[in-house]
This record gives sequence, structure tokens and C-alpha cells, in this order.
Amino acid sequence: MIFIAIQFLQPARNKSGQVMPTDISRTVPVSPAVSALLKTGCYDCHSNNTNYPWYATVQPIGWIVNGHIQKGKAELNFSEFGSYTIRRQKSKLKSIANQVNDNSMPLASYTFIHKNAKLSKEDKALIIDWATQTNEAISTKQ
Amino acid sequence: MAIVAIALSACNNNTTEEKKTNDTTNSAATAAPVTGGSSVKDIVEHYLHIKNALTKDDGKEAANGGKALADVFAKFDQSSLTAEQKKTFTDIQADAKEHAEHISVNAEKIAHQREHFATLSKDVYDLVKTLGGGQTLYNDFCPMYNNNKGATWLSETKDIKNPYLGKTMPTCGTVKETIQ
Repeated sequence: MIFIAIQFLQPARNKSGQVMPTDISRTVPVSPAVSALLKTGCYDCHSNNTNYPWYATVQPIGWIVNGHIQKGKAELNFSEFGSYTIRRQKSKLKSIANQVNDNSMPLASYTFIHKNAKLSKEDKALIIDWATQTNEAISTKQ
Repeated sequence: MAIVAIALSACNNNTTEEKKTNDTTNSAATAAPVTGGSSVKDIVEHYLHIKNALTKDDGKEAANGGKALADVFAKFDQSSLTAEQKKTFTDIQADAKEHAEHISVNAEKIAHQREHFATLSKDVYDLVKTLGGGQTLYNDFCPMYNNNKGATWLSETKDIKNPYLGKTMPTCGTVKETIQ
């Protein structure tokens, strides 16, 4: 009974359906290859557009998924990257390189379910190089 | 809104109290202009707290320092800053507070704390260069950290005590700059 009842309590969907002017792709150069990796590997939790799996409509899974998204977006939101200060943009790029390098991100629990989000050695190198170079290219002068 | 109002009134109270103590003691008036809230001195103090904990490989103590640092960054009193200084401070605050928070919640992951400490060190360096540190600080450099990419840190002592390599290589590093 409770299970059926909670199905009516759907959390708001994280789907703006548009590319914001503050999106990272409009802030710094992002190659199509890197962009594709970010979209499949990171955007579900780190942007305003989540590609929901079907079971996210089943509660309480949907609530758990929603919690992860809120936490992920607070940490880093690629859709709002352009609104960060230059100093913070640089910090985030540095953290992206670090987290991908030591396999902290994408989360193992996420890639376990989303097999296509698992980064190969080449994928990792691509993201790390991009993040490092972009970080160096951003001038600290404002 | 209520929180902002309380914060503002709290600052006002402090201001009057500070003035009173300054009147009676009539000393330290030349020191960093502190009027309620926290000061650069508090930021440096808690930053050094984290630094000293990391030199001892003590992630738990570093986390305590991180919590305190995030707190003083949030409560920093900007009333004595010029418009230009405010701009710099706001920029540093947004970044540094986040690093301090990460250090505070990763007591069990000292390597991760050190990653954030590296960027935090740059933030605090820029802060004391802009606003003054209130004490002599040494900007030290460790060439080996992060696969020989190196990283800097601030210290209150001239002797090298490395927060990145901790007990494995406590004296690795050099003084790059003395900040008076």
C-alpha cells in the first residue's frame, strides 16, 4: 500500500531542455569528443539536464537519484560553469582532472549501472588534458 | 532574510564593542582594521591550523581546521575594505571557502585534503598579498608534490615542515618568498 502511495510523490525533474548561456561549452573551448564524454559521463548529475533511467520514475529510487543530482550540481554544474568566478572555474577544472585521474569520478556506483559512462584509459587522458590545458589557458586577470 | 538581518545586527554590536575596547586600551590601533566579524588574522590562523595538521599526517585535525576556516571565511567583515579589495576578497572567498569545506569533510582522505590544500594555499597567498597577513609568513615550495608538478604553502616558521609529503619527507621544500 505504502509503495503504491509513494509513487504519486514524484520529485521535480532535472531537465531544462536548453543549453544555458553559462554552459561550459559557451564559456571555454570544448572539443566535440570531450563534450560527448562529459555528456555521457558527468551531465546526469552535474548539469541541468539529466538523462533519466526508466526506474527513476519508481519511488523511492527516484528520490535517491534526485538526492544525488542535487548534491552533484551543488559541487559542479556544467550548465552554470560560466557564472563561476574565474578563480573557481580554474579550481573546478583542476578538480575535474584530479578526480578523473584517481578514478573518484565518475562514481563507481554510477558506472556500475551506466556501463557506457565508464571511461577508458584514452577517455580519461582526453578529459585530463582538456581540463589541464583549459585551466592553464584561463587568465587569472579579470 | 532573517539570517542576514541577524548577521548584520551581530556585526553592528561587535563594532561598538570593538570601538569601546580600542578607546580604553588605545593600542593595536595600527594593526589590521578589525571591526566585528572575522579578520585576515583569523583566516591565517585557521589556515595554519590545517597546514600544521597535514605536516603531521593528521587528517582529523586538518578537518577541524577546515571547518573553522570555512566558518571565518563566511563571517569575514568586509566593512574596512576598499571597493577593489572587496572584489578580490569575494573572488577568493567563493573558492577558498569551498576548499576549506572539502578539507573538513574528508578527514579519512588525507590525499584529497592535500589536493584542496594546494589550491587553498594559492588563495590564502593572494589574500595576504592583497590585505596583509598581520604577521611574517613564508611562502614555501615543494617541488615533488603532484608528480613533480610542485605546490606552494604558507608557513609561520622559516624552518621547512612539508604539509604535502608529511612525515615521509618533512623537510622537503624551499622558502620562495618572505611576506612581511
